[in-house]
Amino acid sequence: MDEDILTTLKILIIGESGVGKSSLLLRFTEDNFDPEQTLTIGVDFKTKKVTLDGNTVKLAIWDTAGQERFRTLTPSYYRDAQGAILVFDVSSYSTFAKLETWLSELDTYSTNNNIVKMIVGNKIDVENREVTREQAMAFARRHQTLYIEASAKTKHGVQNAFEELVHKIIQTPGLWESYNDNIHVGQKGHTSPSGCSTYCSLI
Amino acid sequence: MADILSETVEQEDLKKFEKIYHEQLSKNDVTIKAQFDYAWCLVRSKYPADIQKGIMLLEDLYTTNEPGQRDYIFYLAVGNARLKDYSKALGYARSFLTIEPGNQQVISLERTIKKKMEEEGLMGMAIVGGAVLAIGAIVGFGVALAKAK
Ligand SMILES: Nc1nc2c(ncn2[C@@H]2O[C@H](COP(=O)(O)OP(=O)(O)OP(=O)(O)O)[C@@H](O)[C@H]2O)c(=O)[nH]1
Ligand SMILES: [Mg+2]
Repeated sequence: MDEDILTTLKILIIGESGVGKSSLLLRFTEDNFDPEQTLTIGVDFKTKKVTLDGNTVKLAIWDTAGQERFRTLTPSYYRDAQGAILVFDVSSYSTFAKLETWLSELDTYSTNNNIVKMIVGNKIDVENREVTREQAMAFARRHQTLYIEASAKTKHGVQNAFEELVHKIIQTPGLWESYNDNIHVGQKGHTSPSGCSTYCSLI
Repeated sequence: MADILSETVEQEDLKKFEKIYHEQLSKNDVTIKAQFDYAWCLVRSKYPADIQKGIMLLEDLYTTNEPGQRDYIFYLAVGNARLKDYSKALGYARSFLTIEPGNQQVISLERTIKKKMEEEGLMGMAIVGGAVLAIGAIVGFGVALAKAK
């Protein structure tokens, strides 16, 4: 089984407490939503395999707690991450304003300087938005990150967010090749007869 | 691949939080935060003696600081699982789940612990011990949650 995996990627999820980081992860890994989702203690961890462009990669996802009392130690989990998802809540301007801090924290503690960053504006299902799509896109452009709007509750954008991130990581030279020097992107799709089973239909 | 039970703390981080803790200790004024940060590093150490020490610090916090009990129980489960004291670890996880039955993070920790036990051929052995501990561990935790609401 494992020999079909192109590489394992380490992904981080960061952002203020309550913006829906764990909910996005639960939606992505188990297609589930818990309206009573409890706040994360320290960090949580989940894995998931995804197949993109004929390549199967394993994602090792670290979901950090946004609550203040865990902040001193969560950056120690940033090491070696290839991708980071920065989440804010579109119905809370203050969580958007804090993105600047999260970005600089990421710059300080991440060891891959070409780590791929994606901003996710979550909870787009709620009525009163405080951050517009245009505002968020302008911010993302200024900081050269990807931007996707999502709702962990309705599923909207969730699968997309993770796939875009993985796609960009795979395309970034030097970010992951070191594990598997002689495999090239796209090759798996042509050579592996069993490559296409359950995951392909999702894409 | 590292998971919650096998990833380890960087020595550099451990030393940093050890220093803060010891500085405060020498002044006889250890903050809850310094003790928790240090304990969190210790239970992620690759050395069992460190983990043991982290567990002691967490047990101490558990009895002195009610608002944080939810955090301490979680890391007591992690620490004991890392020491391969699986029955104790499952006992803590179960105590937690009695209070917050739907907690995804603890449910998946429990699953990870059981997987480790299966891999090591220990399944079935630890269940009895775990259940006994749960009753002892649960008392203070319940009080803390009732107050928080
Ligand atoms: N309406 C709506 N509610 C959401 C959505 N995503 C999450 N929530 C709710 O928001 C609350 C907080 O979600 P969490 O996923 O626990 O937030 P978090 O970012 O992981 O918080 P920390 O673990 O403390 O950092 C929960 O009550 C969720 O049910 C969403 O897309 N729409
Ligand atoms: Mg969370």
